[in-house]
Amino acid sequence: MVRKKQLLYFILAAVIFLAADLWMYSSLTSSFSRYVQERDYNEVRLFVQTAPEDEADVGEWIQGVHSVIPGSQALYFTYDENLFDFSPAQYSGNEISSILTSLENTADLKNGFDSAYYLEAVILDTSSRVTYNGALVDAQLFIAPVIDENGYEARGALLIAVPTGAASAYSNLLMTLAIGAAVAFLLISWVVSFSRDAVTGFMVLGLFIIVGIFVAYPLIEAIRLSFTQDGSFSLAKWRLALSPSYIVALWGSLRLGVSTATASTILGFLIAFLVERTSFKRKKVVSTLATMPVISPPFSLSLSIILLFGNNGLISKQLLHLNTVSIYGLGGLTLVQSISMFPIAFLTISGVLRQIDSTVEDASLDLSASRWQTFTNITFPLAVPGILSAWMLVFTNSLADFANPLLLSGNLRVLSTEAYMMVTGRMNDLGGGAVLSFLLLMPTVTAFMVQRFWVSRKSFVTVTGKPSTTLTELTNTKVRNALSVFVWAVLGFILMLYLTIVAGAFVVNWGIDYSFTLANWKAIPDSWDSIVSTLTLAAIATPLAGIIAMVGAMLIVRKKFPGKRLLEVLMMTPYAIPGTLIGIAYVIAFNRQPLLLVGTGAIIVINYVIRELPVGLENGITALHQIDPSIEEAAQDLGADVPTVFRTIVLPLVRPAFISSMSYTFVRAMTAVSAIIFLVSAKWYHLTIKILSYSENLRFGLASVLCTILIVIILGVFSLLQVLVKDNRLTQKTISSR
Amino acid sequence: MEKKSVSVTLNDVTKRFKNIKGKEDVIAVKGADFVVEGGELVTLLGPSGCGKTTTLRMIAGFELPTKGSIHIGEEDVTFLPPNKRDTATMFQSYGLFPHMSVHDNVAYGLKLRKVEHKEINRRVQEALDLVGLGTYGDRAPGKLSGGQQQRVALARSLIVAPAVLLLDEPLSNLDALLREQMRVEIRRIQKSLSITAVYVTHDRVEAMSLSDRVIVMKDGVIRQIGSPDLIYEEPNSRFVAGFVGKAAFLPVTVTGIQGTGYTCRLLEKDVPVATSAFQAKEGEKGVLMARPESLRVVEKGQGYIDGRVKMNVYLGNSLESFIQTPFGELLVQIDDPHSKRVFPEGEEVSIDFSPDRVRLLAESEE
Ligand SMILES: Nc1ncnc2c1ncn2[C@@H]1O[C@H](COP(=O)(O)OP(=O)(O)OP(=O)(O)O)[C@@H](O)[C@H]1O
Ligand SMILES: [Mg+2]
Repeated sequence: MVRKKQLLYFILAAVIFLAADLWMYSSLTSSFSRYVQERDYNEVRLFVQTAPEDEADVGEWIQGVHSVIPGSQALYFTYDENLFDFSPAQYSGNEISSILTSLENTADLKNGFDSAYYLEAVILDTSSRVTYNGALVDAQLFIAPVIDENGYEARGALLIAVPTGAASAYSNLLMTLAIGAAVAFLLISWVVSFSRDAVTGFMVLGLFIIVGIFVAYPLIEAIRLSFTQDGSFSLAKWRLALSPSYIVALWGSLRLGVSTATASTILGFLIAFLVERTSFKRKKVVSTLATMPVISPPFSLSLSIILLFGNNGLISKQLLHLNTVSIYGLGGLTLVQSISMFPIAFLTISGVLRQIDSTVEDASLDLSASRWQTFTNITFPLAVPGILSAWMLVFTNSLADFANPLLLSGNLRVLSTEAYMMVTGRMNDLGGGAVLSFLLLMPTVTAFMVQRFWVSRKSFVTVTGKPSTTLTELTNTKVRNALSVFVWAVLGFILMLYLTIVAGAFVVNWGIDYSFTLANWKAIPDSWDSIVSTLTLAAIATPLAGIIAMVGAMLIVRKKFPGKRLLEVLMMTPYAIPGTLIGIAYVIAFNRQPLLLVGTGAIIVINYVIRELPVGLENGITALHQIDPSIEEAAQDLGADVPTVFRTIVLPLVRPAFISSMSYTFVRAMTAVSAIIFLVSAKWYHLTIKILSYSENLRFGLASVLCTILIVIILGVFSLLQVLVKDNRLTQKTISSR
Repeated sequence: MEKKSVSVTLNDVTKRFKNIKGKEDVIAVKGADFVVEGGELVTLLGPSGCGKTTTLRMIAGFELPTKGSIHIGEEDVTFLPPNKRDTATMFQSYGLFPHMSVHDNVAYGLKLRKVEHKEINRRVQEALDLVGLGTYGDRAPGKLSGGQQQRVALARSLIVAPAVLLLDEPLSNLDALLREQMRVEIRRIQKSLSITAVYVTHDRVEAMSLSDRVIVMKDGVIRQIGSPDLIYEEPNSRFVAGFVGKAAFLPVTVTGIQGTGYTCRLLEKDVPVATSAFQAKEGEKGVLMARPESLRVVEKGQGYIDGRVKMNVYLGNSLESFIQTPFGELLVQIDDPHSKRVFPEGEEVSIDFSPDRVRLLAESEE
């Protein structure tokens, strides 16, 4: 609610501040320009004293003026004693003579000559412009007498135009500062005077600034650039992207997405069904193994597939002596992507299966339906929303995947790598890369929308109720055994892939010389800087992302403020955007003043935080929805301000969500590649990109070592964070305080 | 710890909830205007959804009034956040901190006030003793019974010695016996510390037995303010009369006015009525409100309304007699039934009352 008195105060304060701001700006600029004028005046006077005695040398002297007083131009007049007047004799550039033409017969010029006659240098009132460093800039005009050897008479005069470049740059800087100060003051005092608790206001403001600068701004810049060619509006880039040569890549992406999503969903469903709906014994082990690929570094599975089935692969070449089968292309990519992404399907589907109440199956069996009928008529239809949303999730992940196609795509062209090539290749076309990634965004956004608004809504309707306590066996022993053999085989295969990487680290030259060596481990000292910077950046981003996500969740769930919906959407946006697009957009937006961030570690940290924010935010929102708001209100009521409530109540209560989003951020930061491949610099390098370059150069031993190290670090930190989730003894399962 | 009791004043307070997504706005409280005197316990009584909680939350500072102002003592607190107000709220769901022990829950307010460690321990123990939980300090709140949790919440609110104690249906989660005990307990503590208190309930017995004054609300509007017996004996409307107790409403027409009293025509008989809730004119229609305990069953033809005994329900200290009359079934409460004449079921009887025990109300259902 806006209150009259406060509005009045606010306006008053704003007017006073703006007036002061304006006054400071104008007095600073004018005093600076006065200072610059004086300095130039003195330089001009010094310059005229260096005039050669011989009139014949004057031409050369005049020519040198621009190097003595940077960028300036001069025109020399001789004094004609008969005419009692100055007449132009020599000049250093055409511009200065046209300036003289424009001054012809003005009082200004006349006064200037009068002063020169009395041996006085003056600054002219008329301003002019000269070309300096290829651009037309403001210049100040001076007239100075050239005094004869006796020092009594002016034998000539100089008209000099001195560019005021420094002054105008300074004035621009001042203007930026003055506007910045005004905006900051207005925002801050608006929050202080109109929000009932300023801290919340500042948090909201802070989040808006963060997502505004690091989500909205780069995307807008990328869109803008995609419609620009040579500085003006053009559809050329889109025309190129929609030309047959790139439509092929889109088609490739879609084909890959569909086959990966389908394969992953089937695999995920089978494992989920075995774990959640049968009396299978080793559920824990299977679930753990089946989620492993989620935390494996990019390239690692591709790498081991190459080691096993590549042109020189252990299985394809050494064991089977195949020369024709190629792992590069759609088939190999589908295999690798399915193995990396089926855990997503598994987790989603098992979540849904777990919630289907066994009593509905019991009821069906009770009505003398067979188990198969029960499965097809009851269980499966109830699981359909989960299955669809799993499919969508894997589909979007497959489209956005960048690492695997980079190594394995062979002849198959996909958009994510095409975009990368366009940016890093010979053309160095950022806008084109952006366009290709936007093309990628469309199916992703469609899938995302369908998933969010259709599937998830549907799943709320069909799946209700509590987790069932009893379980109805829907399989007979034969089916169950066949299923478990299959699942064990898949998991065994995955385990073998990981062991291959470890083995690769100890082999001299995979495919040619399989003798044991430790030589590859020199990769550690070689990549020590990358290891340190990878860890440092991840370690900085992890708590930041966690805290920002929880603060955001608290604001969105608990506070009322205008623009809440917009803030939520902006914070969730990076979830739907492929990493390639974010990376390219960041390069476009942050490679110039005033936000020159490319090349710093900060841009990489920011990228991690922004990209992992959506998941943390969702976690936090879900957790907070389960907490009785009166707990926080009670704390506030007892005198705690907003930050105290957050620290002492909210954070401890959402701790599981907080820690799991931190683990998530950490893993993702350690395994990042698609966005940061555009952002790394010599100083801030990433291990995954090192792995990529080793793999591309066929130095598989070194790549294997780095993969192994990454896996070890991730597993270590991950289990450390998991231990932290073990909660204190007081918190019961139900968080609501009753 | 003793403070001077302060008053709470609401000036024409209105709360409108903006309902986004095409739904209509909800006016939860409309022009609430009342004063709670220092040391007084006032109850907000009304049916579900009438705006009791919203009123309380505005006093606590969790909601900002759309219009009007709120003062605690002399201070205008309308725009102060809850942590800057000298109030303590006991929530319906208690709002205990599940990740802290009982001791830490109670100590929370003192820690925020930077009270010295030893002093905190002493006062927490004192507060826990006060609510009879002296030995429960180490427990987790989740492991206490509902009544114990409720007392922890009370101790947590009281320990910061608030100027105003706000209670939102604090007893609704307890069983009947415990509820009665806690009611007495809350009243005792509130009186002994002479804290100003606002108590929200939809239970009329709770409201009657606990409060110095009762505020009856409906649909966001305050319908009547007064001491429990005033509200019960002299309700200003059919709604209030019906909400605070059982009552029969008998349709009448005003036939005569004598000073503050009236004569009303009930069926074919003229009835003298001592009090009225409105200025009635002759010929105007109204209803007579009669409480069951003010009615008497007498021999047929001896009272105002003839009828037949339909059912007698024996309750120990009283007997409820349901009489079928032209106005439907009327309830007559017969106290101490052993010393009175009880007409058996099926017998033709008449209902009688004395003029000073009935009250003329406006006809409207409201
Ligand atoms: N945050 C809110 N947003 C929108 N409407 C609300 C909100 N809080 C309360 N209301 C509405 O305001 C009205 C009054 O609610 P309030 O909680 O004050 O009722 P109450 O008297 O406490 O009821 P109960 O006895 O059921 O607790 C209700 O119609 C309710 O739906
Ligand atoms: Mg309520």
